[in-house]
Amino acid sequence: MSTTVAALPGGTQRRWLGAGWRFLPVVIVLLIWQLTVDLDLVDRAFLPPVDAVAAALWEMTRNGELALNLAISVYRAFAGLAIGSILGIAIGLAMATSQQADRFFGPLVATTYSLPKSSLIPLFILWFGIGDVTDIVSVVLACLLPVIVSTYHGVKAVPALLVWSARAMGTPHHLVLWRVLLPGALLSIFTGIRIALGFCFVLTISAEMIAAKTGVGKLIFLYGENGAYAYMFGGILALVVIAYLADRLLLAVMHYALRWHESLHTHHRTA
Amino acid sequence: MISICVKNLNKCYRVREGNLPALSAVDLEVAEGEFVSIVGPSGCGKSTLLYILGGFIRADSGVIEVGGKAVTGPGTDRGVVFQEYALFPWLTVTQNIRYGLEMTGVARREREETVRRLVRTIGLEGFEHRFPRELSGGMKQRVAIARTLAYDPNILLLDEPFGALDAQTRETMQDELLRLWQATRKTVVMVTHDVNEAVYLSDRVLVMSQRPGRIVAEFTIAIDRSGNRETTMLNADFNAVRNEVWLAVRRQVAATIAA
Repeated sequence: MSTTVAALPGGTQRRWLGAGWRFLPVVIVLLIWQLTVDLDLVDRAFLPPVDAVAAALWEMTRNGELALNLAISVYRAFAGLAIGSILGIAIGLAMATSQQADRFFGPLVATTYSLPKSSLIPLFILWFGIGDVTDIVSVVLACLLPVIVSTYHGVKAVPALLVWSARAMGTPHHLVLWRVLLPGALLSIFTGIRIALGFCFVLTISAEMIAAKTGVGKLIFLYGENGAYAYMFGGILALVVIAYLADRLLLAVMHYALRWHESLHTHHRTA
Repeated sequence: MISICVKNLNKCYRVREGNLPALSAVDLEVAEGEFVSIVGPSGCGKSTLLYILGGFIRADSGVIEVGGKAVTGPGTDRGVVFQEYALFPWLTVTQNIRYGLEMTGVARREREETVRRLVRTIGLEGFEHRFPRELSGGMKQRVAIARTLAYDPNILLLDEPFGALDAQTRETMQDELLRLWQATRKTVVMVTHDVNEAVYLSDRVLVMSQRPGRIVAEFTIAIDRSGNRETTMLNADFNAVRNEVWLAVRRQVAATIAA
């Protein structure tokens, strides 16, 4: 049924307050972190206090180092995610609608699904050298599989009656894909892309640590090597924020694209 | 003029235990402009027959002709209203009704005109941009019928069209369908388990046996429908034939339970 909520000012205020409370656990963890260092429960040399990390973060922001490397990493992560998602949707659709494609890709997907894609980075360095290509290829590969699998299952779960009714209304075979199977599988596809979004940052950072001269991964790695742990944590924290914002953005797009969907009004609110 | 002609139709479903006969030697002729209902116990294969006419399922053997041509697949000469409506949940009311018009290549101007007219006919003005999830069962049913009427098929195939509605809405929708049919005189084949509904709406009611489905009885319904629902329903002729059909169906159901 229609669930229109009256946009009362009080309601909005409460919503903002509610959003603030959501970050309470994060604040608590930061407090505990600060306290353990201040009370000398752990050695400062091994765990820099929050204020030192904040200072380092500020310094990296001020001298432009962070923005540059973040931009490079985000470019690699999102390029890989975009390519991987498009390929994944295409392969998943092909597998779900063609037996030949299923027979060809099925075993490949099954055997490589649980392989940690980062183990292939040394091979990609050999093929593509150090830099963007190696990093992006690693990300593409990691993003590909969850999107293939979720697209495949999403398409398989589209009710046959919807396909029949499309055919009854004169939809030619090749348009059934666009007009019925793709929108019908959209929730599942988005779920796959959301999993891939997590992987894209994991792979970008791992690849940059061993196969790049730039990027947040390289930054974290270098500062770690040199014992500048406050700066290392600064890089990690910046990454956490970017990854969180990217996930929220994807969720917002998903909610808009699936505003017609029965089940989306209870799912995916916080997680 | 014969619109639908089925001769000696057979259909088996392949299941793990072997072959499950669904339809056996079904013969059916429907004249142009005729309203025919098929009633029978659940699982008797009446929906299968409708899906074969729709071109979604292939028969094992037999002749299936629509408008003098053999059925080889779905076509826009036959409009289908499915159980549970099968609306596209990602399209709004307007977009759902417009869909068939886009597919059949109707010009934009005429398309928009038809959509507007149908939205008015089904009384959903103000709901044009709602998605199916925001509609009641009766509204969804109206949209499902409207989107089928939109591209003006000669034949309507209705699969338990009112099965998911409450009793009051169902009666309203039956009257709307009757009015639409009287205005357009399309050929209609409706599958239902509701004897009242079948007799109230149809020119002819066919009773199917338990599985494998055969047509075991046929009733021509010659009642006066010029009055309103009460006049028709309380009419002695209506009740006499309704009881006959009901008994015929009941015998099949009893046979199913005994088997």
